[in-house]
Amino acid sequence: MRLAIDTGGTFTDLVIEDVDRRRLYKRSTTPANPLEGVLNVLDVAAADRDCTTAELLGDTDLLIYATTRAINAVITETAARTALLTTEGHSEILVFREGGRSGPFNHRRFYPPPYVPRHLTWEVPERIRHDGSVLRPLDEAAVRQIIDDLAAEQVEAVAVCLLWSIANAAHELRIGELLSEHLPDVPFTLSHQLNPTIREYRRASAAAIDASLKPTMAAHLAELESTLRAAGLASPVVMVTSSGGLMQAASVAAAPIHAIMSGPAMGPIAGRHHAATEAEADSAIITDAGGTSYDVSLVRRGRIPRTRETWLGPRFTGHMTGFPSVDVRSIGAGGGSIAWVDDGGMLHVGPDSAGAQPGPACYGRGGERPTVTDAALVLGYLDPRTFLAGAMALDTVAAERSIERFVAAPLSLDLHHAAAAVLEVTTEQMVHAIEELTVNQGIDPHGAVLVGGGGAAGLNSVAVGRRLGSPRVLFPATGAALSAAGALVSDLVGEFATTLPTTTADFAYGDANRVLADLRGRGEEFLARVAESHSGSPEIEYFAEARYQHQVWELELPLRAAAFEGPGDVDALVADFHELHKEVFEIDDPASAVELLAWRARANYRLDAQPNGTAGSRSNGAAPRMRSAYFETAGLIEVPVHALGSLPAAECLSGPAIIDAGLMTIVLPPQAIGRTTHDGGVLVDPWGPTS
Amino acid sequence: MSALHERRGTAAPAIDGVRLAVLANRFEAIARSMMNTLVRTGRSGVLNTAQDFSCAILTNADELLAVAESQPVHVLTGDLMTRAMANLHRDLRPGDAFLHNSPYHGNTHAADHTILVPVFDEHGAHRFTVLAKAHQADCGNAQPTTYAAEARDVYEEGALIFPCVRVQRDYTDLDDVIRMCEMRLRVPGQWRGDYLALLGSARVGERRLAELGAEAGWETLAEYARAWFDYSEKRMAAAIRALPSGRVSGRSVHDPFPGVPDGIPISVIVDVDGDAGRIEVDLRDNPDSVPCGLNLTEATASAAAIMGVFNSLHAEVPTNSGAFRRVKVHVREGCVAGVPRHPACCSVATTNVADRVANAVHQAIASLGEGYGMAESGLTQPPAWGVISGVDPRTAEPFVNQIMLGSVTCGGASPSADGWTMLAGVGDAGMLWRDSVELDELRFPLLIRAQRLLADTEGAGRMRGAPAAYAEFGPTDGELEVMYASDGSINAPRGVRGGRSGGRAAAQRRGPAGDLQDLPNCARVVLAPGETIVSVCCSGGGYGDPLERDPELVADDVMERYITAERAESVYGVLLDARGRPDANRTRERRARLSAAGRGSEPSRRTPDGMSSAGKDEG
Repeated sequence: MRLAIDTGGTFTDLVIEDVDRRRLYKRSTTPANPLEGVLNVLDVAAADRDCTTAELLGDTDLLIYATTRAINAVITETAARTALLTTEGHSEILVFREGGRSGPFNHRRFYPPPYVPRHLTWEVPERIRHDGSVLRPLDEAAVRQIIDDLAAEQVEAVAVCLLWSIANAAHELRIGELLSEHLPDVPFTLSHQLNPTIREYRRASAAAIDASLKPTMAAHLAELESTLRAAGLASPVVMVTSSGGLMQAASVAAAPIHAIMSGPAMGPIAGRHHAATEAEADSAIITDAGGTSYDVSLVRRGRIPRTRETWLGPRFTGHMTGFPSVDVRSIGAGGGSIAWVDDGGMLHVGPDSAGAQPGPACYGRGGERPTVTDAALVLGYLDPRTFLAGAMALDTVAAERSIERFVAAPLSLDLHHAAAAVLEVTTEQMVHAIEELTVNQGIDPHGAVLVGGGGAAGLNSVAVGRRLGSPRVLFPATGAALSAAGALVSDLVGEFATTLPTTTADFAYGDANRVLADLRGRGEEFLARVAESHSGSPEIEYFAEARYQHQVWELELPLRAAAFEGPGDVDALVADFHELHKEVFEIDDPASAVELLAWRARANYRLDAQPNGTAGSRSNGAAPRMRSAYFETAGLIEVPVHALGSLPAAECLSGPAIIDAGLMTIVLPPQAIGRTTHDGGVLVDPWGPTS
Repeated sequence: MSALHERRGTAAPAIDGVRLAVLANRFEAIARSMMNTLVRTGRSGVLNTAQDFSCAILTNADELLAVAESQPVHVLTGDLMTRAMANLHRDLRPGDAFLHNSPYHGNTHAADHTILVPVFDEHGAHRFTVLAKAHQADCGNAQPTTYAAEARDVYEEGALIFPCVRVQRDYTDLDDVIRMCEMRLRVPGQWRGDYLALLGSARVGERRLAELGAEAGWETLAEYARAWFDYSEKRMAAAIRALPSGRVSGRSVHDPFPGVPDGIPISVIVDVDGDAGRIEVDLRDNPDSVPCGLNLTEATASAAAIMGVFNSLHAEVPTNSGAFRRVKVHVREGCVAGVPRHPACCSVATTNVADRVANAVHQAIASLGEGYGMAESGLTQPPAWGVISGVDPRTAEPFVNQIMLGSVTCGGASPSADGWTMLAGVGDAGMLWRDSVELDELRFPLLIRAQRLLADTEGAGRMRGAPAAYAEFGPTDGELEVMYASDGSINAPRGVRGGRSGGRAAAQRRGPAGDLQDLPNCARVVLAPGETIVSVCCSGGGYGDPLERDPELVADDVMERYITAERAESVYGVLLDARGRPDANRTRERRARLSAAGRGSEPSRRTPDGMSSAGKDEG
């Protein structure tokens, strides 16, 4: 039996995977002490299974943990007091960032402060050149003086990022030795070890974020493990990482930047699994709609897309991690997004959110302004009595009053038109977010399955699918806890990278083969280590970061093998790159040589016992209830409300209808056809067979 | 089929607030997809690193409809370019593409190569035009720079000029122009890659517009455009109505340059009719064209005035032709900030004098009252944004490119925020990305020795300007040529409403022995191995009286070393306690005293030299 726990901002999700079934549980997150929420949800599951929590944990073979703790520490500025050591003359790396700005005429904002303040940034006398040669030796006496300053400033963590440490790491390594020697209790991160990539900002930013998380994440993960051990857990604890894989908790504590996208990174992993098993598709658009944010990711031909441009906070004013991560984009759109009409008479939804406090008007907690949730309630999509499986009663009258006052009246629309318009603008924003990504990644949304995950996904995912031209929209049974479900189908992953610039015009066979052999060695060592405590099957994939001559943005090019025997292998790489470039950007340049910047190995250890169970139980088959709901083409009509748990597999449902999936409500507009899958989910044809 | 189609066939307006929002998103998404294509596929550093490019969608009536996150100076007057296309080509048809860089036909300057693609409906009617514009690494100028400040006319400038020439017919290349460029542009392979990226971007925009037209109906899109312009005009009128009415003037003087020994004084008259919600900006009372590359084009003169207005309103208004209906810019032919007559040289038309025009507008509007306008900003471009060229000793290949280092700051203060540290020019408005030191050193035989912000350089104010920045770089081995044209080394960016002026720009050469020698503000410098060039950019001007600055912000600036404690005391009248936080009583006293004495004293600025003594020994 395996357990996956995802501690999000609002809810702590637990998915239990047994031999023949998966079960989903949800409890409120307890921000003051997140472990309390973890224990609460375990208690609920144990009670459901008629056992004690100790018995439940004792039967557990593997416990997978995801948390938003790392990203929250960054965003709420509660990470450790961190210093940056960098090459003399280059102390503004984190101030300059990479430039860029949005809103050219908006001069009402202050320039964002650097992740490490200037007064905690030290310049180290030394300089290495791009070829690794030493222009100026490291001044160790100066480093010792700096270390004294760090102690005096009571710094809690140190990031070291020197120019060209990726070409020659000697100076960073020596500073590391001196830090270990003189400040043994202060954790540090060396940029070339953590994130060996060209572009000093990305390396410095990753190192600074990583170092700043070390004290808090090490303590948190140690406490998690000891708490669970005390509660009866005997199995290893692994953690979900930004790269969409699993890592042993101790490894994450040593490099906690891996935990930044813990949670969201599992969206595409889950989506890929469900698209393959329930819709037989290898390309999918995966969405996760929560209360305040909407996460989007893509899977193309079974491959999880990656990026180094993950922003914590808004683009340009937040902090870019510069660290490889699953490419999941987030926009501020969700059930809590507030609808408003500007003085020119245009309707907007968001970016302001009612959050959990005061929450939507229908929560009855003092929120006056209308949200997407209020609109869905007015339209009859949500049942005021069964919201969140009955955990909270909703106030329909408050929702109506709010939509009327803030949307319907200013737009001169009736109540239902106004509420439908709110959902429609939301749909458009979600489509926009998806298109941003599809354009960037070169995927055609017309052919891809749209996977609707997250508690709010059911409200308009079919509408989103219509706008995108998606042939099918899939709601997995565990969609309301998409990330936790994804954790159960992911691999243990170790990633290794080395920078070695070369070009196919003058390919450095010897160096490239040496680098690849080294990467293979590191990958195999990793796999051997994890095989000691887990059973599964190992695999290593190799990639080059490649681009045309003079370009500066690389594409991740999968390599056919881990060695280049001769010109034929290089020609094959060039051909593969032309094909990839054309696929992503619609053009290629057959005349141009291909530059290769960095080489990567991804060691995957696929755990045995992939899930084959179904979610939920099939029960009574009771006749559906009826409810009034509004649809743009049909008006206010009575529609059936099907309880998903009561339906057999391959059951066909015609819109207009509403499907109550417990923690998610799925809206089938007129014409849409839904079919339950063998895995307990619903696969929807947005336009029905006539389209 | 949702909001794009007729909603209910009743009395509802043709385009309601909902469809407006939906379609605005759709058009914006198309412009963004064009931008994405350009950045990822471009070859030159100005394109793929700095992202010195812009994309826009215009209507068949030459109205600017959507601009994504483009640089204002590039696109605000895109209508001039489509007008030229329509005037010069009566036989537009699907599959056409035009290359346009002529400063005399509505383009910004010769280095901005623009691809225009007209988009047609299924009946062959011209509906929209997509525009993709990118600053080139080289445009064939006589000297290896895309800013030929010293050229007396277009002949000396030497750029290849393409007055909206057809480069594709029926989606097929007409290779003539490409061959010409390959013979006259430095590093032709790099140019060709950028050209392909531009063309690809425009074609992506065309295809996606065609899809939208087929889905929503072309008439719906035309109706949408009308409604969007009306909506934007309404928003602009509301923003202008928030201003007091008045006829005010502003003045900003470009430094003396080769060909203009007395500099170029720029004056604007701004007429705000708050009741009617209209603004007029008159640029006609300015000098005639000058015998150097500083002349503006019609596109940049108008765009600079519009930018000045938008920067000064502090309101969210969509930037398109609808909003521009409320702003009338008066220009005259043969004027340095107007419509150039061939063969006047306009090589530097997007930055120097353009920024002076925008700044004069900022000042004029600031004089209307508290909360309006902003301080002077963005006087560029110092050597840290110079065009570098030479032969790479590692490969024996020639190279040319504009570098855009981080160390160009220049943001002026607004009524509600300090100057944006990484603003650089008013016309690029901070939208440009900055070079990575490592990437530059990998691509060019360059060693970047230092880049630092300089303490005590900000234009002081209730809101302060961005601090100045220092850069020093030189060749690794072999010679390195650097060309730059840096305004603001004499006439510093001015503060407004009691705000102080920012610091001046400077350029110096450092010899192998470490000795420094001043360089002119506009020069072509050849650096030998062991030599470096020092670049200091302007800081931004301040807004409001520094004695009114929140003492907490002053204390933060001291802690973060943007200013020293001495300056906090002498200029801002803020005294700090042992913990570095404001001492309320002593601050109140000091401020009262300074106020009675007629403001804080402005100590003479230190010579801007950011190198520590240790740094000077380096290498």
